[in-house]
Amino acid sequence: EDAIPRQKLVVNDKHALDRILDDIRLDKSLSWTETLSTTYPQTHEVDVSNDLDRELSFYKQALHCAEAARKLAAEHSLPFTRPSDFFAEMVKSDAHMERIRQRLLDETAQIKRGE
Amino acid sequence: DVDIDTAVEKKRRNKQRVLMLSSRGITQRMRHLMNDLETLLPHVKKDSKLDSKSELRLIPELADLNNCNNALYFEARRHEDLYLWASKTPNGPSIKFHVQNIHTMDELKMTGNCLKGSRGIVSFDKGFDETEHSRLIKEVFIQIFGVPPGARKAKPFIDHILTFSLLDSKIWFRNFQIIEKDPLEPNGPPQTSLVEIGPRLVLTPIRIFEGAFSGATVFSNPEFVSPAAVRSAMRRQAGDKYRSRKD
Repeated sequence: EDAIPRQKLVVNDKHALDRILDDIRLDKSLSWTETLSTTYPQTHEVDVSNDLDRELSFYKQALHCAEAARKLAAEHSLPFTRPSDFFAEMVKSDAHMERIRQRLLDETAQIKRGE
Repeated sequence: DVDIDTAVEKKRRNKQRVLMLSSRGITQRMRHLMNDLETLLPHVKKDSKLDSKSELRLIPELADLNNCNNALYFEARRHEDLYLWASKTPNGPSIKFHVQNIHTMDELKMTGNCLKGSRGIVSFDKGFDETEHSRLIKEVFIQIFGVPPGARKAKPFIDHILTFSLLDSKIWFRNFQIIEKDPLEPNGPPQTSLVEIGPRLVLTPIRIFEGAFSGATVFSNPEFVSPAAVRSAMRRQAGDKYRSRKD
């Protein structure tokens, strides 16, 4: 016995979405330094299953936005680059970074041995 | 009087605090993902696991108790599927996502690093401006994932960028370290390059509700198929194969 295909109820209430967006939108007069948000002027047109192309496309977006953000930061005189003598706790610990470095070294050694 | 006016003018700031919590039954990988987001976002307040899966109305109350105006709720189902609720509390909206392809910062393949608590740039591609629901998602993400300047523990420099990209009607999240010096030529001209820090994840929007964890549905994704349905279809297919061979 075949199951009766159930029609999924699709909702896309555009007016309500616009109204909600207007309700929650941050003040337009807010300086860029308050949010640090940037928009890439392109969409991604790559094959999703191709890992290399896909990640390259994301990388391009990030690079474009990082450079745009650096210019904007300079305009707003917001400190951007970390001075080389500024030390503070990092997201990944030194021990973890050492493990990453060791893995990279191991990999290059492996490649050398293969040759 | 003039002084008071300028003081009010100056105070216009982006104030965001995010409550992050999960349901019971999350796996190790999901927990690590939450920890990663907590270290990247200094304006996040983590709370203990929520006991009940049906009482989501409690979350806006918890957010209020913690002085938060946003909530990120990770809901694990069947110990394998992860859903993420991103919500503005107390008035909404809330967006429910299905989370896939999680990679955490623990993985050794991603070699970047950044200051703990530095404010990241949030970046979106143009696709977010094209439909009503993605515009709304963009605004909510700017408020939740953008670190406000007054955040406690925030560091004064910018050294990483969070990217949200729309592809295949899913949202792909990446986090890169911004390097401004060429490691091979430290005295040469500054050349921006990026190294991935992690975590990685892919979000499929499922529904947008008008309220905070409540209210009417204003958007539902017609393409979304629940992961349980996908698995059961796969099992049925395998069963059919066996049955046809047996006959």
